[in-house]
Amino acid sequence: MDDPNPLNGFEEQLRQAFLRRPAPPGLKRRIMNQRAQRRTAQMRNRVVLWQRIAAAFVLAAAIGGGFTWHYIDEQRKGEAAREQVLTALRITNHALDQIQARLAARDRDDHE
Amino acid sequence: MARDWQPDFERLVDEHQSMVFSLAWRMTGDRGLAEEIAQDVFLELDRNMTRIVSPEHALFWLRRVAMHRAADAMRRRRVRGVDLWIEIEENHGAPSEERSSPLGARVEQLLTTLPEPQRAALILRYQEDLTPEEIADTLDSPLSTVKSNLQRGLKLLRAKAESHLKDYLRPERSIGGALPDG
Repeated sequence: MDDPNPLNGFEEQLRQAFLRRPAPPGLKRRIMNQRAQRRTAQMRNRVVLWQRIAAAFVLAAAIGGGFTWHYIDEQRKGEAAREQVLTALRITNHALDQIQARLAARDRDDHE
Repeated sequence: MARDWQPDFERLVDEHQSMVFSLAWRMTGDRGLAEEIAQDVFLELDRNMTRIVSPEHALFWLRRVAMHRAADAMRRRRVRGVDLWIEIEENHGAPSEERSSPLGARVEQLLTTLPEPQRAALILRYQEDLTPEEIADTLDSPLSTVKSNLQRGLKLLRAKAESHLKDYLRPERSIGGALPDG
């Protein structure tokens, strides 16, 4: 009854010794818990990321709006100043016209 | 065809937790570390679920990642100077249903004395019943290296078993014979 190939006997014993061990009780539960925790953390991180993106947009819009408002305000002030200068020039021009008319009238009187 | 298969994570854990845990335990010899590795492997599977295309692919992927993670863990432990095998004889306080037979425990203990590549090849050959070609695929090693590791590992294990396990081995299954070629 001797085994013609002693290695086969040894290999068979190795197979017997190397049967899979049962997983420890609770391993699956721990894996599923960790998976759930990881997914919750991922979801939270995603929400935080979107919040940050939204906050960045709001901040960018506020800064952009501020700059735009400042630019429009400056333009409005410039227009007003230009209008004031033009009005002053018109008044001055009108006053000079009147003075010139009076001087012309006086010159005519002197010649006559 | 393969894409029709929808991976069910919970079912994959049910089906393969024993395999992953056993590979990690036999590679590291540390029950607690093997549990950590098994958890990490399945969480990594969860992250890569979209890439898994079939049940066979899932099994191959799990074996491959389990072996690599176990090797990484052993490397880290070696760097920290921890003796991985110090507790193997006490079975790490495992519940009685998890303990292997006395012969199994002794063989596992002897296995721990083998170099890591030989141990990995023998575990995949005799626990998972893989062919040398499948082992080479799993370990990313050349086939000739795997065959050499199997042959040398088996020879070394036999020699150690001869001197240490005389009480356990059946007389008619004497392991004193010569190792066949190939």
